[in-house]
Amino acid sequence: MDRRTFLAYNAAAAVPLTLAAKAYGKTVSHDGPPVDFTVDGPAPGAFPDRWICGSPSAMDNTDPPIQVHWYNEHTAILRQNKAYSYEAPFAPLYFGNDRVLLLDEGYVQLRNDCDYRAVVDDCIEEWCRRNGRNPAAMELLVAFSHLDADHYAAVNQFADRPNTRYMGLTHEEMLGFWGMTNFPEERVTLDLGGREILIWGSPGHVISEFAYYDSYTQILYTGDMFYRGRCYISFWQPWFDSMKRLIDFCDTHPVAHVMGCHVEMSETGEDYPYGLTYQPNEAPVQMTVAQLRETYEYAKGITEPGIYFTGTVYLCNQSRSTTTIDRYPYRYE
Amino acid sequence: MPQTDAAKPITTTIVESTATRAYPNGNPNLPYNRAAVRNTDSAVPRPPRAPVMHDYACDGPAPGQIAFRWIHGSNIAAKNQDPRVHVLQYNEDSFILRQNVCVHWEAPFTYLLFGNAGALLIDTGATANPAHYPLRKTVDAVIERWAQARGRRRVPLTIALTSGEDVAQNQGLKQFAGRADTTIVPPPFAAMKGHYGLAENWPGGTGAIDLGDRVITVLPTPGAHRDGVSFYDPYTDFLFTGDLLYPGKINIGNDRDFVASLERLSAFAGSQPVKWVMGGHVEMMFVPGRYYPRFATFKPYERVLQMEPALIDEALTHARAVQGRDTMLIRPDFVLMNGVSPDQRTSDWPEGVPKINPPHPF
Repeated sequence: MDRRTFLAYNAAAAVPLTLAAKAYGKTVSHDGPPVDFTVDGPAPGAFPDRWICGSPSAMDNTDPPIQVHWYNEHTAILRQNKAYSYEAPFAPLYFGNDRVLLLDEGYVQLRNDCDYRAVVDDCIEEWCRRNGRNPAAMELLVAFSHLDADHYAAVNQFADRPNTRYMGLTHEEMLGFWGMTNFPEERVTLDLGGREILIWGSPGHVISEFAYYDSYTQILYTGDMFYRGRCYISFWQPWFDSMKRLIDFCDTHPVAHVMGCHVEMSETGEDYPYGLTYQPNEAPVQMTVAQLRETYEYAKGITEPGIYFTGTVYLCNQSRSTTTIDRYPYRYE
Repeated sequence: MPQTDAAKPITTTIVESTATRAYPNGNPNLPYNRAAVRNTDSAVPRPPRAPVMHDYACDGPAPGQIAFRWIHGSNIAAKNQDPRVHVLQYNEDSFILRQNVCVHWEAPFTYLLFGNAGALLIDTGATANPAHYPLRKTVDAVIERWAQARGRRRVPLTIALTSGEDVAQNQGLKQFAGRADTTIVPPPFAAMKGHYGLAENWPGGTGAIDLGDRVITVLPTPGAHRDGVSFYDPYTDFLFTGDLLYPGKINIGNDRDFVASLERLSAFAGSQPVKWVMGGHVEMMFVPGRYYPRFATFKPYERVLQMEPALIDEALTHARAVQGRDTMLIRPDFVLMNGVSPDQRTSDWPEGVPKINPPHPF
């Protein structure tokens, strides 16, 4: 919406808003039955065989700015286009009967450049249409996995969205958003309306980071502390403790998939260097609990800063400001 | 006679035939776009009848200027609207071409030089697909226009690379396969040496490419690449150094060769006038010692391309300092990377150089 339309819209919509809402209610049914999120085992769902992963020439990219994949009827997974941001973060969108949870908001700030909010609005409208709900009545929670700009850059796009609450950009506000007083051990439960999300602290990559577990799909969202790529570990001991916390959680809860925020390596384990905008043979974003356990076992043997390949992920232990994996290919003797 | 004319009745009807009526403001009955209409290219001088020979001998460097900023990508690469090949005419016979940053992050520079007997294309860019990077089409158009202005029916083209193995410079070569009247210096190392007559005296000797009164010197300069060469143009007094010396992160392939090549370049610059050293890329920012990371598709604060010849000696001094050490060394106008990852970082900052934070886009 440009500025002119925006101003005109407010003037026109101020008085007849209730009338319009009534008229709208006549044509669209908003009294669908509540969705039953209780299932035996994980709710069925599928990741795509291949995500959109950039193009050889970025300016010739014709893919949508944000790919929307419906994992199942009540779960969408968003991914930013590599030609819009090389970070290309993933972002799950969980629907409940009362509210919707968006985790992570991509790495582009302006709606002109990449309209994250419109994509989320479209998803919410589609879900509401399918389930006979009023999109305006669905509360949107805009949260993020951790305090890095590639995960919260678009949060400002939601600032004036009605019926929306968004996470603040400080450690204190983040903890306050989930009502935590004992970070990182405390595990809180967010009720989306019949669908519970378990949240606890997961520091290590950065201090202000959470792990999110969706009890419906049983997806464990591990943010940037564990993903298919270079897990930049800024603080080793907190990271190792967070891994232990994830392992302990997997011992007591069923987990269908472990999912990170990015993919930075190929199917064959080859590292895609930082900043690359085309990843033609990407590894899948989802990982298994076994892979998480293997990584934990591998990490037990790490005592020095450096880069370690576990077979699933690269653990970059306090190496971020010093070196990277790839070499200059034209070295000769 | 006047009497008989005046006796004729005056007709007021519109006469269809143009033969019987004059249309001082143009005839509206005729079609706008007649068969005789064609693009006369009236912006360029009328094509000469005979080939125009240019005298390439001049005191000092030939005049020319780089008056514009290079196109430098955009924040959202997918929305970039800039030309895919940025063409800059340095002077009548020298062109500088740059690949769009959003087509390929290396954004290499390509040089097109004309002499009385032919043209030389130095380097070919990082993208083979002509739909993404229409280098051949652009070069053909420049040559055609130049040939027209100089009254040539054919302009033989030579294509040479500063390094045959460098994928940031050899990909566009595929577009020129089968082009008529074209000599391509073979990219494989041995064949390239043979072509320049350097098989016996690599890297000590020099080769030459004669464009007709403009003889380009070929200097073997391995160091960044095993098969690296530099070109010297005595007309513009440019030294084209490719990946060996450019305002960016210079990855050293072999430090012994790198130092030796810079020594040769330094000696060469002492014996021949050099106006600017022209590299293959720009990665530095316009503040000292700062550079854009690899794969960046938006470089609004780039340093200029041209380097003063004094920088050869500065590079030589510091190349000697990093020789034999796996390290990274920052200088105001370039960075030396010896034996480290292309993404290596360092906290060592050169003494006496102000540390300025460049503006950061969204």
